[in-house]
Amino acid sequence: MKELIEFMARAIVDYPDEVEVTEEETEDQIVFHLKVAESDMGKVIGKQGRIANAMRTLLKVAAIRRETKAILEIG
Amino acid sequence: MESVEVSAKNVDEAIDIALSDLELKRSQVSIEILTPGRPGLFGLGGEQARVRVTALEEGTARPMQEEQADEGAHEEEPPRKDERQERESPSRERGDPIEIKDLDSEEVETATEFLRTLIEGMDIDAEVTVREPETAADGEGRASAVLDIEGDDLGLLIGRRGTTLAALQYMVNVMLTRKLNSRVIVTVDVERYHRRREETLQNLAQRMADRVSNSGRPMTLEPMPASERRIIHLALSEDEDVVTGSVGQGDERKVVIRPRGGGDGDGDGGDRYNR
Repeated sequence: MKELIEFMARAIVDYPDEVEVTEEETEDQIVFHLKVAESDMGKVIGKQGRIANAMRTLLKVAAIRRETKAILEIG
Repeated sequence: MESVEVSAKNVDEAIDIALSDLELKRSQVSIEILTPGRPGLFGLGGEQARVRVTALEEGTARPMQEEQADEGAHEEEPPRKDERQERESPSRERGDPIEIKDLDSEEVETATEFLRTLIEGMDIDAEVTVREPETAADGEGRASAVLDIEGDDLGLLIGRRGTTLAALQYMVNVMLTRKLNSRVIVTVDVERYHRRREETLQNLAQRMADRVSNSGRPMTLEPMPASERRIIHLALSEDEDVVTGSVGQGDERKVVIRPRGGGDGDGDGGDRYNR
């Protein structure tokens, strides 16, 4: 799932090298933290959060496949 | 002061119809609910909602078209065959040009690779094949290609009311735009979902158009994404009895089907949908 988030984020930012995803696993869910260059924040969030939401929707499918829950936090 | 009273299935719908009659936005009117209405069981025994919508002050009555022109830049206006080409050029000037490339172009190949990687990242076992768009639902005239996802049990990729599929298509297109700085878009499909949805929407459009022409009253459909509203507009573009338009903002934007020639009594209220 980490790779999925990295892949999506790197494809849409200006500074792919600065994309960093860390994960924090608890009993029933995994929280992913996505960090990007300051100037790329708007790019991964999108107008009205549309890109962030699309990434979350796809991450949810990945989580369902692995029988877990995943949360994506940006910033 | 301009004021209208409208009855409809529910309060929201009545307000939408009133706003579109007045050509005003919600922020420019006061709304009085005369009858809240209630849904009946199986369509029986319900009561229509009735609202009175009044323009807040003289001079605010400004057509909403101007403002919605930008917001609606991605929306395919009700197309009329003879005008379709003229309609495309103004949208080009608005900075929203769409390029159509061949199936073997770099753009389509890159989009396909993106999609394959996304599907793999979601842990789903499926194949992607590329074909030409054939219908409005395929994005004919806009999308350069349809990327069909084929495999077993792909309901998960479609999601509730197609939301996952929409997210997948959106991500592929955002990635494509950013990566190649291109104006090429692709349609992503699973098990011909778009085609099936198109047929459902065409049937719905026809049924609603029949009702509108029988009753002489406008009807508002459920909120739909632009691609689905376009299918309704297209399905009824040559209907002799009704015209279509859209009301509402963003995710709440809905198609309104009205009797042709403005059966709403204000003389010119329905005309703009004819353009």
